[in-house]
Amino acid sequence: MSKQLSLVLVLLIPLAFLIYMLFVHEVDDPIKYIYTLTGGTAITLLYITTTISMFKKAVNLIKYRRTVGLFSFFYAFLHMLNFIILDMELDLASAVKETLDKPFIYLGMSAFFILLFMAITSLRVLFSDFYKYHKVIYLALLLITIHFVMAQKALAIDQWFYLLIMITIGIFKFLQRTKLLNI
Amino acid sequence: MNYIKQTSWSLSENLVTDEALFNERRKFLKLGAALAVSTSAVMDLAAKESLPQPNLNFKKDPNPLHLPLNDYEQITSYNNFYEFTTSKKGVKPMARNFKTKPWKITIDGLVEKPFELDMDDVLKKFALEERIYRFRCVEGWSMVVPWVGFELSKLIKLAKPLSSAKYIRFETLYDPEQFPDQKRDYLKAIDYPYVEGLRMDEAMNPLSLITVGLYGHTLPPQNGAPIRLIVPWKYGFKSIKSIVKISFTDKEPLNSWQKTASKEYGFFANVNPDVDHPRWSQKRERPLGKFFKQKTLMFNGYEKEVAHMYKDMDLRKFF
Repeated sequence: MSKQLSLVLVLLIPLAFLIYMLFVHEVDDPIKYIYTLTGGTAITLLYITTTISMFKKAVNLIKYRRTVGLFSFFYAFLHMLNFIILDMELDLASAVKETLDKPFIYLGMSAFFILLFMAITSLRVLFSDFYKYHKVIYLALLLITIHFVMAQKALAIDQWFYLLIMITIGIFKFLQRTKLLNI
Repeated sequence: MNYIKQTSWSLSENLVTDEALFNERRKFLKLGAALAVSTSAVMDLAAKESLPQPNLNFKKDPNPLHLPLNDYEQITSYNNFYEFTTSKKGVKPMARNFKTKPWKITIDGLVEKPFELDMDDVLKKFALEERIYRFRCVEGWSMVVPWVGFELSKLIKLAKPLSSAKYIRFETLYDPEQFPDQKRDYLKAIDYPYVEGLRMDEAMNPLSLITVGLYGHTLPPQNGAPIRLIVPWKYGFKSIKSIVKISFTDKEPLNSWQKTASKEYGFFANVNPDVDHPRWSQKRERPLGKFFKQKTLMFNGYEKEVAHMYKDMDLRKFF
């Protein structure tokens, strides 16, 4: 089995787990559960996507980056479908109204459109023209983390943990770009 | 819902399976059911099996509105109880060894004479009744629970408040040895002890319930054992758990969530589909166990009973 295929199978585990939890285990609050699982997976994969390039000199995993990034988009897409289909029950007018009304939702939605842009332009025919714009991933990273933190009733340990990861990635990248750090 | 009534052919207490073993057996059953083709009938059976033996005497609620009850398992395994953890699923296992005996409730402030109530006396003094209420969390989920308790007004009459008493302040137990989040030095979820309050007319409303049980059984720790408040027309966080102190005051108490984020959570916290939380809509709610949402009702469906208390108030301002 090729390494790429194995990677795809690993990246599908959260989806399989979600289906099991929804239809066999029967979670109490399915809409919330889909949000948490797809959102948490998307954000984690986005962190991994950005981290891969940081360590390319030590371990070169660049050829897997696109797959991981696309799966981050895939889970963000499921997250967004959950919003439109189950949460808003396909009432597009109120989905748009909610999105414009609530900062927490429009931050998440903006991040989603950035990931959508990146997913489309990662197609081979478009990639060379649009590669230079792919730095917007760091904007998505920022938006998605704020969105995630804002979704909670109060800041708990887990959110501090995610904030810490994001800040660490940010500082690391900054140091690398400015050549203060040479890894 | 089926209740198991004590009859002449009931087994004696020593023949009853130990609760821990019983729960293990249930887990095993559920696993088996999940592995086999899991029909919803099997799952319903498993859910019913987790019902504990009723151990309270109370007057049953005939449920005239035919509210669809959530099952015992759902009600007791999806809890907000930050003193243990902010994970709703995590509360139940962490609360397992919570000590509720002995338990005393201090009643003080603007009363004729402050006193202490022992939990055993509470159960002797007040006749219990079942109240099937809707329960709506500010986070957007909801359930229907058959609580057992007595009207808060009865406790107020016993406490003999002075005429200067305008509000009641409730306080949850502060015990870092039992509540892990209270033990933290930093990054506590909220400030402790947890505080809630009601205006006197709200407290005297016949819907306000001092609650000691659910599904006919004393409250499990995760649901606020041994004694809690239930105010069904307000968001769930008003229904304070594990109460140790009830004080009568002339000032509006600063409740914990208002203290944490006053722009998002107020003193009144009445369920209101027309007033959004700043970060999310309150128009609809997710009933536990369902894939689809339902409309949230004004005052959580108790408009007839409570709306008169707020008729001159701007509910956008006093949220």
